[in-house]
Amino acid sequence: MDAETQTSPEPTAQAPGGPVPGGKRPVVDISQVDKVYGNETRALDQVDLTVREGDFISLLGPSGCGKSTLLRIVAGLSKATSGEVKWWEQDYGVVGQPGRELCFVFQSPTLMPWARLDKNVRLPLDLKHVKKSESMPKVRDALTMVGLGDFEGAYPRELSGGMQMRASIARALVTEPSLCLMDEPFGALDEMTRNRLNDDILRLWKERGWTVIFVTHSVYEAVYLSNRIAVMAPRPGRIAEELTIEAPYPRGNEFRNSDEYAEYCRRASHALEKVSS
Amino acid sequence: MKAPLVHNERFVQIFAPLMVGVFALVCWQAAVVAWDIKPYVLPSPLAVGVSLIENFGVLMHALYITLTITVIAFLIAVVFGSALALLFVQSKWIEISLFPYAIIMQVTPVVAIAPLIIIWADDTTTALIICAVIIAIFPIISNTTMGLRSVDPNLMNLFRMNRASRWQILTRLRIPSALPYFFGGLRISSGLALIGAVVAEFVAGTGGAKAGLAYMILQSGYTLQIPRMFAALFLITLTGIALFALMVWLSRLALASWHESYLENEQ
Repeated sequence: MDAETQTSPEPTAQAPGGPVPGGKRPVVDISQVDKVYGNETRALDQVDLTVREGDFISLLGPSGCGKSTLLRIVAGLSKATSGEVKWWEQDYGVVGQPGRELCFVFQSPTLMPWARLDKNVRLPLDLKHVKKSESMPKVRDALTMVGLGDFEGAYPRELSGGMQMRASIARALVTEPSLCLMDEPFGALDEMTRNRLNDDILRLWKERGWTVIFVTHSVYEAVYLSNRIAVMAPRPGRIAEELTIEAPYPRGNEFRNSDEYAEYCRRASHALEKVSS
Repeated sequence: MKAPLVHNERFVQIFAPLMVGVFALVCWQAAVVAWDIKPYVLPSPLAVGVSLIENFGVLMHALYITLTITVIAFLIAVVFGSALALLFVQSKWIEISLFPYAIIMQVTPVVAIAPLIIIWADDTTTALIICAVIIAIFPIISNTTMGLRSVDPNLMNLFRMNRASRWQILTRLRIPSALPYFFGGLRISSGLALIGAVVAEFVAGTGGAKAGLAYMILQSGYTLQIPRMFAALFLITLTGIALFALMVWLSRLALASWHESYLENEQ
């Protein structure tokens, strides 16, 4: 297999907190974070990770490696037991200020079943007391962007699982976030839908200039989407290895069928196997 | 080709129980005639019907009294029960301190405390309303409290991340989440309010202008007017069914468009 060594670029390990590549500002800076639960479970152990502007970073790992816990800490839903997290080089208080919006896409669509789609998508703006006349155009834009332009009057139960997930992405769009956190958003969907949504996410990431932290247990998804992958290990949860995926964007089916993609997947799988055993 | 009526679900839902009822009434009538049962032992359905018409004025007045007490008690139970539930979810301390008393109130037989309440209250109507409220309020408190707590934890996270105020979480998340539970509570509570009103009146034995259906039953028993007793009983049952149907209708109005429990009806 000499072709392999010639065509595939070497995934480079990156020292956490190292020199700034391309001078990009850190969006999230996690240093020496521990999370210990009441029953002495060490969910996270000395985690260091710097996420820079424009990064699409996947947290890849087996269940129980603390990847969701880490994401929840970044979202401010949970507090680190020790260590430090910085958002845009400041405290959590900065989150929500103009240009410092953060959005979270959950594993399940997490829509309000009693509200029609437009009201569901409008929720983050409603909570900020944005006037309806101001928020409705944004809601329509967001729904159109995820291909649900004709469904603003529908109730969640009238939509398929994939459409519900799209709606929850539309809800994330309306606040015009710059940091997007996604917790295995497509884990419950069939592969076709999942691939389509992956392409949608990549498109939005580019168009909107997002920084994305994406939790997944799928090697294929992580390689396809990310420019960086943090492979996490369980018991205690920690970052075991970092891979850089240097394939250029936009990525499409060509990339999915390429040898380069296969090689990255092989490497990521190998890293995952090492930490799982 | 038009589908036969038997395949119409709605028709079957009404027709099947109706046939059972008609069959039971026919058997009853036949039994009374065949064995020549005296009306003061068991009146025939026809005799009950005749009595209903003959005593229509008196019975309707009694029904009006009972219905008024039931409705007032039910409304008080809904308002206070929901208010208490809202209070409970605001503070764990309030819930821990008060919930045991709600349970004590629920498990104490109202028949046993009704005489006390009748002595304490200014007039009998107030006493009857209090008794009915005591019986009717518990399902509202417990169901609504559970509903207000049954919030999708991820939705709660979403609200928190968007820095929703306590008020926004209550009105936009907790209350809508609680609606299905609340309406479940209403169905139980509406029937209990009627039972409470009737049982309390049995104990109070209010006569005269304020006589409700329970007193009508008592008095008919004393004077051996058994058909009228059955007629009054029939009216109580009818009231209970009407209240239940009203609650089903209200809950359909509020929930049918979005809640899972109404999904199969649409397919």
